[in-house]
Amino acid sequence: MKMSPQMVKAQENMQPGVITANGFLGDESAPLVDLIARDEDTMHELGVDFDDAADRLEWLLEEGRKGLGEPVTIDGSWLVKTDEARGHLPSPFEDGIFRKVNATIRRADGSRDEIRVSHLSLHLMRKYHFLQGKGSPFRIEPNTLKSVLGL
Amino acid sequence: MLNPAMLIAPLSIGAIGAGLAALISVTDKIVNNYGEVTININSGKKEMTVQGGGNMLNTLAEQQIFIPSACGGRGSCGECKVKVTSDIGPTLPTELPWMSSEEIKENVRLSCQIKLKEDVELEIPDYLFYIRRYTCTVERISDLTHDIKEVSMKLPQGQSIEYKAGQYMQLEAPKYGKVKEPTQRAYSMSSAPHEPARIEFMIRLVPGGIVTTYVHEHMQEGEKIDAIGPFGEFHVRDTDAMMICVAGGSGMAPFKAIFNDMIHTGRINERDCWYFFGARTAKDLFYVDWLNELQEKYERFHFVPALSEPEETDDWDGETGLITEVLDKYLKMPELANAEKEGYLCGSPGMLDACMDVMREKNDMPDEKIYFDKFG
Repeated sequence: MKMSPQMVKAQENMQPGVITANGFLGDESAPLVDLIARDEDTMHELGVDFDDAADRLEWLLEEGRKGLGEPVTIDGSWLVKTDEARGHLPSPFEDGIFRKVNATIRRADGSRDEIRVSHLSLHLMRKYHFLQGKGSPFRIEPNTLKSVLGL
Repeated sequence: MLNPAMLIAPLSIGAIGAGLAALISVTDKIVNNYGEVTININSGKKEMTVQGGGNMLNTLAEQQIFIPSACGGRGSCGECKVKVTSDIGPTLPTELPWMSSEEIKENVRLSCQIKLKEDVELEIPDYLFYIRRYTCTVERISDLTHDIKEVSMKLPQGQSIEYKAGQYMQLEAPKYGKVKEPTQRAYSMSSAPHEPARIEFMIRLVPGGIVTTYVHEHMQEGEKIDAIGPFGEFHVRDTDAMMICVAGGSGMAPFKAIFNDMIHTGRINERDCWYFFGARTAKDLFYVDWLNELQEKYERFHFVPALSEPEETDDWDGETGLITEVLDKYLKMPELANAEKEGYLCGSPGMLDACMDVMREKNDMPDEKIYFDKFG
């Protein structure tokens, strides 16, 4: 699929060492538009809506922040631990800056699946349907997402 | 045998490509050659002629004028503000998230986003003329907790640095691994000003952080590293008000500097100081013995560590709960509630917000008496 100049620039910014040490693409080198198209297909097959899932994850992240870094049980269903650092991260699409707040979210029933999200990763998920490359620490795997959110 | 005619097409295409590349290069030099531009700072207090085309932040740094920039010029910290008094065009979209309407009206700009295309006049605080870049030697790296390292650095022979306890420096990690350019981040100094030939930091590993990953996984004792500063407005105000200090994690750094400075100047005997330090378990605490010693030695110094989730093996008999809950409990004690107070905070943004809420909303401490380092 053809890459727009914005996508080309974003993929450059997603390389390791540009915005974060590990970058956003994990082990994948395919064009960004292809990664996004693949994950859109998977999310569609699973019946998971990007916006709804991002809203739910953001709610969990904000509830988790109330623990000031300690794990918090939310609605008896999720265990959320947030971590904050000073400073901001720019979006690789150069369309905003985001505080360094991230949350690790898992089911409170002890299942091993977990999702790690940040304000930036939720922005990328909501606006661009970009779930990060496989192998990225912030990869949102659609199947895991569905399982963790209980959708 | 290779037919020479087969080479004509690729060679022709190559020649045309090379010609176009040369044309683009020449055009670029003509179109993007801004020539020399003059930067006039603080109404002629400093004036310099530089090559145009670079961004203002880096160009000024090349002239040894260092504007604070916690992100090293990536447009993600909003710290590198300068007031431009000549016309250089409207505020850019990349600057807007950091600007208040008042600042836009005053033509305050982010120096990392401004390309120098023409002569420019600007205003900066005078103290920035005294900021320096120091090429330090890493003397010692030690573990304070599983994710916080203390790094001590020696300034170059014969150099010293003047600063206030609580201020910060920008450390520059060199290129490493897949990181293709030097990267700066801001860290509070934990050293005290009466030892001006060395500086010290406490650096927590931020997952994915470019500079913290360098410090934790690549930095070696004996290597050279650049530090720029000092910067920041976080320092103890010279009053007799009771100090309410709150920190978590590497937020301990400026307070170690502040307490050692108060010991050195004798101020630790002259004003009440309460230090609340929050951690999850005992393994996340550090410098506890030293702080307990200060409490025993200095009557007006009080140390209150609090664990939010002590483990059974911690054998903990101190305060338990979130640091905000413990802070609120103490601020309601008559000894503290009735005193004139100043708040000093250092920690994650979430912790700062929560502590500000406890101080302001629940205990009527005035906003202007609560201080924190706002970088990042």
